[in-house]
Amino acid sequence: METTEHEVAQLIVDALHLEMTADEIAPDAPLFGEGLGLDSIDALELALALSRTYGVDLKSDDARNPRIFASLRTLTGHIEAHRTR
Amino acid sequence: MARAAVVTHPASYPLVGRSPDAVLFRLPGRDVNAAEFLRAAHDLAAALPPGANIVNLCRDRFAFAVGIAAAILRGQVSLLTTDRSPVGLRRLAERYPGLCSFADDPAVASPLPHRTLRPGTGPSGGEAANPMIPAGHLAAIVFTSGSTGEPVGHRKSWGQLATRSEDAGRRFGMTRSAPASVVGMVPPQHMYGFETTVLLPWHAHAAAWCGDSFYPADVRAALAEMPEPRVLVTTPLQIRALLESGLALPRLERVISATAPLFADLAATAERGWNTQVEEIFGATEVGSIASRRTVEGDIWRAYPRVRLSASPSEPEPLVTAPHAVPFALSDHIEALDGTRFRLLGRRTDLIKLGGRRASLAGLSRILTGLEGVLDGVFVAPDDQEQRPNARLAAFVVAPGRDPEALLAELRERIDPVFLPRRLVAVGELPRNDVGKITADAARALHDRLAGAE
Repeated sequence: METTEHEVAQLIVDALHLEMTADEIAPDAPLFGEGLGLDSIDALELALALSRTYGVDLKSDDARNPRIFASLRTLTGHIEAHRTR
Repeated sequence: MARAAVVTHPASYPLVGRSPDAVLFRLPGRDVNAAEFLRAAHDLAAALPPGANIVNLCRDRFAFAVGIAAAILRGQVSLLTTDRSPVGLRRLAERYPGLCSFADDPAVASPLPHRTLRPGTGPSGGEAANPMIPAGHLAAIVFTSGSTGEPVGHRKSWGQLATRSEDAGRRFGMTRSAPASVVGMVPPQHMYGFETTVLLPWHAHAAAWCGDSFYPADVRAALAEMPEPRVLVTTPLQIRALLESGLALPRLERVISATAPLFADLAATAERGWNTQVEEIFGATEVGSIASRRTVEGDIWRAYPRVRLSASPSEPEPLVTAPHAVPFALSDHIEALDGTRFRLLGRRTDLIKLGGRRASLAGLSRILTGLEGVLDGVFVAPDDQEQRPNARLAAFVVAPGRDPEALLAELRERIDPVFLPRRLVAVGELPRNDVGKITADAARALHDRLAGAE
């Protein structure tokens, strides 16, 4: 099953109760710090949502990996490669 | 109230009160005993930048712990702050001239005189001397944001830190024959994490995990590397996340929670799900951990073995006394049942806690109104903020001609990310009453307007 950027964006918006629509998340904008400005509480919530929806269990090793949390695009790529459901 | 007995406490305590071969810290794939820890601390002490006060910016828990011990050996006071922003560190340096910093990670930037130092974990030929440190020695100053938004430092004497670790070890049943394996999910710079995951092993029968422990999958892996009995040091938010993850955890002897109220049903779910005992620590950065309770057993807190409550002649709340600590009047409203047991009646409404950080709404509002072009502003918290550990703040601002996005970017440089308003709404004016105050009702109405607009 293909993972689309739009469905991951929707998951981020829903999991974190963001005041924006999925289309407003730019695929290449950083998710943490600048850009969306997510923080550690969000990281935990997002990890839970990824686990529930895709069976992807994030670890700190992964989260430090800039290729995963760098942007919506990189996160979608990680899910696509590791999803178990 | 119990009659005060005349008790004399020792005049000094060793840096480490454990036998040389006792394991203090467990790193991924490697255990560090007391002798090795002391050697690492002596090695690092020689390399610290000079200065009376030092900011320990180490990210790794083991590096942080060695840094604290090294500073004590050098006679330097460690300043602990969760605000690592350049603005925050510069402000601290204005109050502590000559302030310097160090970190284990070369990626950490600091506007202060700074060194990157990684404590060795390998064998060292250095000495493992374990000096006696005077009980009155100022070991650390831990900062909280005060009511004005300006950080307030709380001074920690060595005797206070050492005796409180001993007390915690006794309270949570840690013994020489069954030393506890502690996995902490809380940062070491925070007073709760500092006490339970950095200092505890120095004076109680415990070893603390020093690898990753943020995500549920990290915690499961960490617990699996630790021998029984295992103790998880965590927060209500993380307990909920761990339960929801559905991950099967290795057997847990005990779960300890603090930083926010733990609701009895969540505690009961965790006790059933993990076949364990869930306890809460009551404390504050000002006094450290002072009491605990098993949440499912009721609302009565038991003071730590050497902590006492007594009526204060001048303060509305009881005074907390403990060895080598200045008597302190709690800011929470409590009902003392006797000298060692109490009920928590309520917390001050202006203080909010998110992600284990504390701030006052008035202080945050003052930072907002201090921004250029801002005529008025207020932060509001949702009514059910205490019940929802993941609740977020909103803010209203009167700033004609300024873009809320730009204001948000400026706030990001000045306040902790957890307190950033999820919504920053530009309004024409704020509902201030005759004396210029925004009443709780008016703040609630503002918040309701937000909800109605969705």
